[in-house]
Amino acid sequence: MKRSTFDPRSKLIVASVATVLLMIFNHWSSLAASLGILAVIVFFLHLGRPYLNFLKNLGFAGLTFFIIAYLAFDLITGIVSGLRLLTIGTAFFLFFQTTSPGMLSNGLLKMGLPYPFAFVLSASMQFVPVLIRRARNIRDAQRARGIPIEGGLGTLLHLPALAGPLLIQAFTFADELAEAMEARGFGISGRSFHYELRFTWMDWMAVAISFTAFTIALSIQFF
Amino acid sequence: MILRFEGVSYSYPGVDTPALDGLDLTVHPGESVLVAGASGSGKSTFCRACIGLVPHFHHGRLAGRVLVDGLDTRQHPVCELFRHAGLVFQNPDAQLFNQTVEAELTYGLESLGLAPSEIEKRLVWASKLAELDSLMGRPPHTLSGGEKQRVALGAILTLRPRLLLLDEPFTHLDPEGTEALRRILRTMKSEGITLIIVEHRLHEIIDDVDRIIVLHQGKIVAEGSPHQVLAGEISTYGLNLPPLLRLFRAFGLNRTVFNVDEAIEELKTQNLLGPFSIRLSEQMTNPSKAFTATPHPIVEAEDIWFNYEGLSVLRGVHLTLQKGECVALLGRNGAGKTTLIKHFNGLLKPHRGLLRILGRDTRRTPVSELSRHVGFVWQNPNDQLFRPTVREEVLTSPKIFRSYDPVWCDELFNRFGLLPLLDRSPFSLSEGQKKRVSFAAALAAKPDLIVLDEPTAGQDELFRRELTGFISQLQKKGCTVVLVTHDLEFAAEHANRWLVLSEGQMIADGPPDGVMADSTAMIKAGLRPTQRFRLTQAIKHLGEEN
Repeated sequence: MKRSTFDPRSKLIVASVATVLLMIFNHWSSLAASLGILAVIVFFLHLGRPYLNFLKNLGFAGLTFFIIAYLAFDLITGIVSGLRLLTIGTAFFLFFQTTSPGMLSNGLLKMGLPYPFAFVLSASMQFVPVLIRRARNIRDAQRARGIPIEGGLGTLLHLPALAGPLLIQAFTFADELAEAMEARGFGISGRSFHYELRFTWMDWMAVAISFTAFTIALSIQFF
Repeated sequence: MILRFEGVSYSYPGVDTPALDGLDLTVHPGESVLVAGASGSGKSTFCRACIGLVPHFHHGRLAGRVLVDGLDTRQHPVCELFRHAGLVFQNPDAQLFNQTVEAELTYGLESLGLAPSEIEKRLVWASKLAELDSLMGRPPHTLSGGEKQRVALGAILTLRPRLLLLDEPFTHLDPEGTEALRRILRTMKSEGITLIIVEHRLHEIIDDVDRIIVLHQGKIVAEGSPHQVLAGEISTYGLNLPPLLRLFRAFGLNRTVFNVDEAIEELKTQNLLGPFSIRLSEQMTNPSKAFTATPHPIVEAEDIWFNYEGLSVLRGVHLTLQKGECVALLGRNGAGKTTLIKHFNGLLKPHRGLLRILGRDTRRTPVSELSRHVGFVWQNPNDQLFRPTVREEVLTSPKIFRSYDPVWCDELFNRFGLLPLLDRSPFSLSEGQKKRVSFAAALAAKPDLIVLDEPTAGQDELFRRELTGFISQLQKKGCTVVLVTHDLEFAAEHANRWLVLSEGQMIADGPPDGVMADSTAMIKAGLRPTQRFRLTQAIKHLGEEN
């Protein structure tokens, strides 16, 4: 995770403004230019390798979008659709690479989101790898009993052997987790922060620049 | 006093049998207390009552009074009690819910609304005490079992509770992790923190506690100093007694000893060093543990290598397992034990080298074929339970392999005490009962090789005794048994051969006493010889001196 000098709130505002803007752009050149700018930021933040990994998945989705739009409409619409997905995906790639779930949840709290909601948001990211590991253990345990869940149709036919233990474990895990959280003061009012978030002049500048760019882009687009 | 129970009884909602039944006890500041008892004796409920989760979180019926640091737990919610008493739960995964170790440690302090400077101060103190300095930026889910346990401990320590409870903290630890935790607990005791440790593997901690409380069916049945309590008749309460104490009892000696020094002193006093030594030697050559190799290899591994995420997890492992052998596979967490056993039924295939199971090359044989011959009992039985009844759960494999033998299955139902449970849902069983179901399910298809993954972890003495009889029975039937375990005492008692893995390499292979005598391999693998072996060596050493 890259440490960022910006407050997660300013980054969230900038990413949201960028998304709206990218949704409005309907010319391939504007989207290609946006993708170029984002790629330069990726380069300067030394995020090239994780970005390439990210592109392996997003590229496939972008290509699918392109093909569907091309077949349904025309080539230009296909290019615009594919580019739009890539640019929005890249904007959020940058956001999540520079903002830890903990900082994001702190930012959302400062924006007035109730603590349980902010916690659920960050915890859900935390527990994905834990549940994936459990699912692998369950798959191995069932395969070791001769249940053919090696993938494909076999997995579908024997889904209860995989989903049953996983669901039960997820419920038990949630119970144990709730107990552990309660024992560490979850939800008490007056929570403080180890790293207090500060909205500095740089954040104000980032927000101002993004809104200015938004206004300029809109005027170019529509007038 | 830091903790007081006054006539405390508690029943979970919808359950008539009380989990705690008329408890009266007092714990003084700075004391360290071991709470022991068989599975289901009420140990975990006791811990939850100490921090107010009983009754505030679990509800149910609570009678009597629990006072923590002078606060009545009925009058004060958990969020007020947690700064006075902290509990490290049994499952470390379910109590680590932040993105980094540092965030984990500061969570409780942020809940208390402390200033950043105070948070920083406590963070430094707790991370040093729990030996976490090098892990602060790591996501908890990437840590080993021992590291997770230390993070969970650190997260409670930052709150500086006057009373700290640990629920079976040694269950998932390897010998090095166990030693590290013991060291930390000693430091905490020296800092004046009151400790209550719940455990049924008494020898792990008995030297470091002031008092033992034995629970049985929710009642306190014995209480006092470790020597007082263990001198009494407590064998019916399902406790895993210290190995040397069991050894002394087996030799008809009544003196209560916990460590090698005490045992030597006592034997010298009674002038029994000679006879004791002879009996120990006889035990070492016990014919029940002897094994004669047969010309029927079950497993043949030739120079197998396996890589995971760019790391060599197995490096040139050579291995042959014979029919009817009982082998213990040992090594620290991450040494490659699980990777190796997953090769036995083809869940993993070697990247290099050759592995044959009953003559079949695992790279060319599907898992579904190999699993007909290789049964697994995994550490967590919940990974496999999914059928509506216990009967169907056990009969899953025989039905898939079309190898259903009603006489054998009935024997298994009987052997594992499953007859009254056959029509019940496996999910409604206790953890101990689920473990029995998983044993029966693994054996129902009559495998030639059975792999038991940490069979004693979290199990009480009653289950260990049953397991003992059961392993012997399997061997007599010609089944090869592989025990993957950190419980060296159990491994020494039951395995005729030890295999030691370290960093993916097999660094020792031989009879238990031969491997324990190889101090280089033992140190490299992070293992410590059993107490019985150390006693034998100490007696031998004394004999040589004289």
